[in-house]
Amino acid sequence: MSRPEVVSLQEAIGLINDGDMLTFGGFTIWRRPMAAIMEIIRQGKKDLHLVMVNGGTHDDMLVGAGCVKVWESCWVGHELYGKIGGNFSRRAEAGEIIYEDYSHVQMVYRLAAGAQGIPFMPTYASMGSDVLNPEYDMLGKAGLRDGSNPKIPVRKYEMYRDPFYGTEVCLIPAANPDWCIAHVNMVGSEGTVRVFGQKYSDEEAMKAADKLIVITEQIVPEEYIRREPERNLVPGHLVDYVVELPWGAHPTGCFGSYEADGAFINNFFTSTRTQEGFDAWAEEWIFGVKDHEEYLNRLGVSRLETLRASVALGYSTKVKRGSR
Amino acid sequence: MTNKDYVKPGDFKPIDLLAVAAAREVNDGEVVFAGTGLPMLAIMLAQLTSAPSAVCIYEAGTVDGRPISLPTSVGDARCAYQASIASGLFDVFGQLQRGRVDLAFLGGAEIDQYGNVNTTAMGGYYPMGKRLTGSGGNNDINALAKRTVFIMIQEKRRFVERCSYITSPGWRIPKWPEGDFVHKREVYGKAFRGGPGAVISNMGVFRFDDDGIMYLDTVHPGFTPEQVKENCSFDLNISRVSGKTELPTYRDLELLYNDIDPEGIFLP
Repeated sequence: MSRPEVVSLQEAIGLINDGDMLTFGGFTIWRRPMAAIMEIIRQGKKDLHLVMVNGGTHDDMLVGAGCVKVWESCWVGHELYGKIGGNFSRRAEAGEIIYEDYSHVQMVYRLAAGAQGIPFMPTYASMGSDVLNPEYDMLGKAGLRDGSNPKIPVRKYEMYRDPFYGTEVCLIPAANPDWCIAHVNMVGSEGTVRVFGQKYSDEEAMKAADKLIVITEQIVPEEYIRREPERNLVPGHLVDYVVELPWGAHPTGCFGSYEADGAFINNFFTSTRTQEGFDAWAEEWIFGVKDHEEYLNRLGVSRLETLRASVALGYSTKVKRGSR
Repeated sequence: MTNKDYVKPGDFKPIDLLAVAAAREVNDGEVVFAGTGLPMLAIMLAQLTSAPSAVCIYEAGTVDGRPISLPTSVGDARCAYQASIASGLFDVFGQLQRGRVDLAFLGGAEIDQYGNVNTTAMGGYYPMGKRLTGSGGNNDINALAKRTVFIMIQEKRRFVERCSYITSPGWRIPKWPEGDFVHKREVYGKAFRGGPGAVISNMGVFRFDDDGIMYLDTVHPGFTPEQVKENCSFDLNISRVSGKTELPTYRDLELLYNDIDPEGIFLP
């Protein structure tokens, strides 16, 4: 397929199978594909294997809903609006989820290697930390490094003496998830992708995955997005499915489009202190609405207008963020 | 009173002193990696006072931004305002690994006397004790910046004999796969760039000797070296205390509360 297909969110998420390996665009509470996350939960996907540069509100929601079997990343939390991932911590402490910790550089490199089509990347990062403690190879402990799943490397890492300059480096295995779901600002009608502001690790995540679903604030004429190709991130032939879904990253923030909804995220985080709290929250905001449009209607126009970003600044000046 | 005068005890909050002491660790012209929260206040205050040409990198991918509104995290759109580059993690962590970062500010839940830090799990990793956020860039940054400064809460259970999980490698670290503790130079070899330079708590400022062992350098007003030692689980060296921590000035507080964080995001 050299041109992506424009589909509905339900159709796109319907293609994901139980047990698939997923990664995401965005960074912590910024530009996360939240409408897609909620649809994954509505469709009741199970045993997902997440491989992410970092976590945030999105993966904590999936973990709370019981969709995740394996979590590989380096961080989860909600920044200023929630100091830990409440669902993730609770399930990790109860032994209900397989967690594998790497460092930030290592996770970027796992996806960068995957994006380059090579089996590993070397790095100096993280040497001398418990990330490399052989006792903490959690996929190994779970018996998942036996080679039977081609997406799971048979070792967590390998120390190696570089043959060219004689340094000690740590080799980190590539990751090629089945799916990347990314939320972006703009896609051309032939699939060319544009992201405003920081790119985070979107390019590595998008290129590493076998299939790419791009959720976009808007689809524009291809002619428009090709006037300045240097501003574009990924060509259309690498995109499989496009979903046009304004506000699809809410409650996370989207540079140039809207602010992170801190009050909403904090309310979610507060609910995750217990499984019952999260279940009630999900009943209201995920299962209690049929789709993204109903979700936005429940949020209401005034809330969304407060979050809308200034065109000049890329963020909203109308949100109350602190105590003054 | 001029605004360069030191603030009188009682006219500032402990968090103000943390931000100001951290800002004073920045030398002019340095390239600084900063995380969310107090590190942002510190680098911005430094840029407005003693280090106007310091360059700030945020790990989500912005370099040398000039925000006019305080970001709530490193991924915030505000970080990119007037930045020279808005790229991503691969770029900025590459600059770190390349040896371009002079100073980085970090935090943690536990620290030991070698500057090893835990942000992953309290009371054990497997089985999981109390799960925290995890490394993020903490591990990479403490590993590869030339100098790191940690901002910590001073409690006995946080200044520990041994971290329950070493997220972030300090001066004496396990060499895997055996796990014997050796000097960082032995593990990093030619890639060695430096390590923890200071720890700033709500009671004092700590530094590290040539063996990579933490000692108390200055105490904040209202505390004695003995009190600080009582709030460490390890046997803190208090034989090298050089005096009291320099107080904030009225100008520092004006900048922090009126210019940097007028909304009360990190300074309630």
